[in-house]
Amino acid sequence: MGANQSHVLDPTTGIVLLAVFGMLWIALGMWWGRRAKDNEGFMLAGRNVGLALGTATAMATWITSNTTMMAPVFALKQGVWGMLAYATASFGLLLFAPMALRIRNLIPRGFTSGDFFRLRFGNVAWGIFLLISLLYSMSWLVTMAIAGGELVNALSGIHYVTGLTVILAVCILYTLFGGLFAVIGTDFIQSIIILVGIVIIGAVVLTRTDIPEMANHLSAEQPALVSIFMPVALLAVFNNMFFGFGEVFHNNVWWSRVFAMRKSVAPKAFFLAGLLWFPIPIAAGFIALSAGSLGINIPNENMTGPLVASRIMAGDGGAFYAGIIIFVVLFCSLASSIDSLLAATSDLLTRDGFEKFIKRGKAVADHTLRRAGRYAIVATGLAAWLVALPRWPIQNALFLSGPLVASVIWPVIAGLYWKKANHHFVIAAMLLGSAAGLVAYFTIGWFTASLVSVAVSMVLTVAGRLLAPRHFDWKSMNA
Amino acid sequence: MFSTTFISILIIGSLIWTALGAITLLILILRDHRNRNIW
Repeated sequence: MGANQSHVLDPTTGIVLLAVFGMLWIALGMWWGRRAKDNEGFMLAGRNVGLALGTATAMATWITSNTTMMAPVFALKQGVWGMLAYATASFGLLLFAPMALRIRNLIPRGFTSGDFFRLRFGNVAWGIFLLISLLYSMSWLVTMAIAGGELVNALSGIHYVTGLTVILAVCILYTLFGGLFAVIGTDFIQSIIILVGIVIIGAVVLTRTDIPEMANHLSAEQPALVSIFMPVALLAVFNNMFFGFGEVFHNNVWWSRVFAMRKSVAPKAFFLAGLLWFPIPIAAGFIALSAGSLGINIPNENMTGPLVASRIMAGDGGAFYAGIIIFVVLFCSLASSIDSLLAATSDLLTRDGFEKFIKRGKAVADHTLRRAGRYAIVATGLAAWLVALPRWPIQNALFLSGPLVASVIWPVIAGLYWKKANHHFVIAAMLLGSAAGLVAYFTIGWFTASLVSVAVSMVLTVAGRLLAPRHFDWKSMNA
Repeated sequence: MFSTTFISILIIGSLIWTALGAITLLILILRDHRNRNIW
């Protein structure tokens, strides 16, 4: 332990770990990047990704630093239901599995989720969707970047700007060299490290925790945490589930993976990823429940996981190794999400912004697209770094974009499964759903925003289908 | 109240499930490698 109680490593060890893993990811990115012979290879890893890499990349992208850091906070504040609520975010991946097959059947040559909106609902809906998706993705990316700087600082004492810069620079470099090949390849290694790290930490904590004693302590001191009827936690179950649906259904992070995997692999990979992701918030979160019975004081709620784990694991002089495991798991959680967001957001900028909007109607050479893709990755990363630098409260933008994203759930479902969805109503569904969600956010509370947005968007999308059906056939698109 | 047995199964089960996840990924990558199906 350092001077700051939440430091689990000294700064030198932190810098060495950042350097070693940073160089490893960059070297692997360059090595895998040699496979990208053209822009399609760079953006979609050759459209031939197998089940192992496909499953790992879907899972690793969904394990953000929030999963490993916030699951213990959920457990600390909302107990058993809190952990289960977080685990329901996996349902988004499970439900996306059949949609993945549908997407591959309807748009076999697609590149982005923007392609789907442009072809199915026209340019206006496409523009609105891009605004929502880019706002959300950039907010998520900046939130991850800020979390990276803050976590590295809290865990090892390395300065915030140094941690932020190193983590972003590493992710930008390997994504730049290797495109989606590098992102998917590193995701596999990162997911193995995260899973093994969580199991090691959990197993050590378990050997030093008496579960009946912990349960008795909770029943006596904090009965709400083990209560079957805890309204706030039950609300959190639905909130997390809908968040998972909205995020996974619309974001190009997931669509680009659908296009990257072999057609038969895509649904299996998403289903398996959801299945394997489900226990992670519980395995990472339960350590917080033992804090009370072991007499561990938690001065900083957001550092619950690392603090409790390092205190318990430090029992036999294992503080150094505990610190290394926690640091590496969190670094991998951050990198696996940041690289995916960089790749998927820059794909939207390149494909939708540059090729289909700026150069619309013109043939664009492959090397021009590839150069544009590289510029987009650097620009996206640089923009995230600039916004993250002063630690702006970007979390608010991420929360605010929640109802915007929720308004897209029904248009996606309607576009994929209905032949008679009306694009005018879909545009109204996204605009009015977002507006109603934002009003609910400010007048009622954050926990109602997405629900209101989904409800308004659903009513309008369904009304369009019933009142003014417009026939659409994907076969006519030759997509 | 959640019973102690339920909490024990939840915690131990989640750790075993997570460990099986890592093993599953390793088995899949070996299978894909053998079948030349990784990429």
